[in-house]
Amino acid sequence: MKTDNRFLSGLALLGGLLFLAPVLYAIWMSFQTSTAFYTGRFDFTFGNYQAAIGQYHFARYLLNSIIVAGAVTVISITVSTMAAYAFARYDFPGNDLLFAATVATLMIPSHISLIPNYLTLADAGLLDTYAGLILPAISNGFAAFFLRQYIRGIPRALDEAAYMDGARPLTVLWRVIVPIAKPAIFSMGLYVFITEWNNYIWPLIATSDENLFTLQIGLAKLYRLNPGEGLINWPLVMAASTISMLPVILGFVLVERHLVRGITMGALK
Amino acid sequence: MPRKLTPYLFVLPLMAFIAVFTYIPIVTSVDLSFRQWDFMSPDKPFVGFDNYRVLLKSDAFWNSFEVTAIFAFISVPIRLALALVLASALSRETFARRILRGALFLPYVTSTVSIAVVFSWVFSTDYGMMNGLLGLFGIDKVGWMQRPDLALGVLIFINTWRQLGYDVVIYIAGLQAIPQELYDAAAVDGGRKLHVFRRVTFPLVMPTTYFLLVISVIDAFQLFTLVDVMTQGGPAGATDLLVNRLYQIGFTLFDIGQGSALAVLLFILLVGLAIFKARVLGRRIHYED
Repeated sequence: MKTDNRFLSGLALLGGLLFLAPVLYAIWMSFQTSTAFYTGRFDFTFGNYQAAIGQYHFARYLLNSIIVAGAVTVISITVSTMAAYAFARYDFPGNDLLFAATVATLMIPSHISLIPNYLTLADAGLLDTYAGLILPAISNGFAAFFLRQYIRGIPRALDEAAYMDGARPLTVLWRVIVPIAKPAIFSMGLYVFITEWNNYIWPLIATSDENLFTLQIGLAKLYRLNPGEGLINWPLVMAASTISMLPVILGFVLVERHLVRGITMGALK
Repeated sequence: MPRKLTPYLFVLPLMAFIAVFTYIPIVTSVDLSFRQWDFMSPDKPFVGFDNYRVLLKSDAFWNSFEVTAIFAFISVPIRLALALVLASALSRETFARRILRGALFLPYVTSTVSIAVVFSWVFSTDYGMMNGLLGLFGIDKVGWMQRPDLALGVLIFINTWRQLGYDVVIYIAGLQAIPQELYDAAAVDGGRKLHVFRRVTFPLVMPTTYFLLVISVIDAFQLFTLVDVMTQGGPAGATDLLVNRLYQIGFTLFDIGQGSALAVLLFILLVGLAIFKARVLGRRIHYED
């Protein structure tokens, strides 16, 4: 396009930088010693990251976040793909009803289940376990709803050809449907992963053992348990904050299109 | 394996999760809202509507409701107006616009806790970015998060910053659905830019506006993370949004009955809004297809 010249690109870049200035400045701050921060000079250091990772256990939190968000994504996408396949391809009594019950989960605010889910997991002895963090997050029908629409667009002739060759339903799902639906599954997977990575209220309620903290909880506690205003070690807190947001930002830059797709589809539910 | 069972086996795992962690909890919440319980005592006596009565008589509840309503009432129009203007400017695919769109969208996928922490610094009194900037103009330090009249405004500002890119992306999708012929016709008629915007763009993007309006209100009634990390409802209840109240009643005061009553009220309100969205807006949004 003719009008898309260097001037406009520069202007857009400047606008974007200005918009993100607080975050960019915070990342910059995380490489600064705290004494330098308070005197307004700049002393480059990795010390805040070393402290966050070692002394303040952010390596552990990072690992927990990866385990929890990873497991939620894999389990959620697996059960959703299976359900979506049945909804899209089988006429069975209850199909409409069960599908409606799945879609209705999108309207149900998660706050109604906070207290009951806490009680359920306490009864099952699953508070302060990975299972307690992971299981309630699977109860979301969005991926199934979305993948069903996608699978319906795949020609049935492909399934039938596979059945002619003697394939079983699970084989058809795995060998025919999943490879074709891969872009949709990938977008949904990213969406689920990021949502879970950033999840706050449930891990806050379900964990009190520091060994189970996710990054979000670890960061909130590090910030809050700092001594009062003015005494907060801002560069340290910003290093911890950067550790918590950077994986998603990097992923975003790499797969922006897929991600925006997944999220706008999330919106148009 | 008999064929008739196959589809049920496929949907069973998802259905089991949904039943245990979404549907049964609704029933449990309603039940608990009629009982008095503190997580500890062995029995949970039935108290009828007492929890609701106490809740609806308490100042804290009405303060929360008011704060949440003010939050929604101020933040939603600002978000939508900014987003529509930006979306109009960014809707065509060019490299420059993609950069800006990416930058706008980034906060939406970034962890809200990180955002809350970063902005706690931005608005901190002594070393924050905002007071630093104001200082350049000779303006005295402002206690942003300590003043009840400012703290909610700061939360509105941050939430707008966080959600703007999302609104823009949805608006862009809405704008792209408007047939180009309408613009061509307006151009032939010699319509000026502002005029075209008012007569063509604005009315035709209305379904998207309704959609965003409803989901932004729903979001406002679910906001928690920013509040919990930054203010925990303070100062003096000025940022005590409803979910924060729910969390305080349920998980710091351990009043399960009253917490459940609030959860049930919130549930009725939000499901009502969601049904309104699906029924009324669902039809309107698709009328162009």
